[in-house]
Amino acid sequence: MHIGISDVLLLAHATFGVAGCLAALWVFVETLSARAANIGRIRTGALVTAACMAAACICGGYWYLHFYPAEKALILNGPWPFAHNLFMETKEHLFFATGILAFLLPIATREKLDTNSAARKLVLSVAALVAITGLAMEGAGAVIDHGVKIALLQNVSKETR
Amino acid sequence: MDSAKLTPASSGFVLAAAITVLVNTALACAKDADAPLKAFMKSIAGHDWTTQGLFDLVLFAGLGLIFTYTRIGEKIEPNRLIAALVGAVVIAGLGLALWFGFT
Repeated sequence: MHIGISDVLLLAHATFGVAGCLAALWVFVETLSARAANIGRIRTGALVTAACMAAACICGGYWYLHFYPAEKALILNGPWPFAHNLFMETKEHLFFATGILAFLLPIATREKLDTNSAARKLVLSVAALVAITGLAMEGAGAVIDHGVKIALLQNVSKETR
Repeated sequence: MDSAKLTPASSGFVLAAAITVLVNTALACAKDADAPLKAFMKSIAGHDWTTQGLFDLVLFAGLGLIFTYTRIGEKIEPNRLIAALVGAVVIAGLGLALWFGFT
């Protein structure tokens, strides 16, 4: 068995992304019943969200720059070129929006959430946007992965004919 | 007592985030359509994607600090600010998907 740096980075990217979505969901649920007793947990959840999304960006970005070109060539020559043209292109640029929202969350949670309804609405909106766009990234990642898989399967079936 | 106002920092950075998300979308489409722009961005940080990410980060932090100190975000009603942010993200998602799906 050989596990290369490419595999570790790709799996870490997806794992940090899911963890960031879960942390954003945690912030969302805690904020629904924000009170003095759980403000600390909300702020911790917001920091975890930002840290996970930053780690997902660093791992995914390094993998994208150094290891993706070979997979991109496979996808574009395979049956699902839209896995790159539509899904990867959208994912790699929309991810910056998710990152900005994740960095906004710790700033928004500095508000007095237990006494400020506008601040609660802001935190709920930002946390929901992080979770929704983050899950969309995960879905796009699965389509891109499948684009590589069916391109490889096509090559194998040609060789075995 | 329930307050319904955001601090200068929150409102400023929300406005900065909405603008950054829209600028990021426009820049993604512009560099895809304009090869010299993409090459220029590549020359700055080694890859156009890296340059775009760094640009977004600097824009978000810079605008956020400017809006915080000038208190511009505070002048906008919180519900409008939140709607602007949600709208910017929806425009970004649909805009990028339509651009890359049909060009």
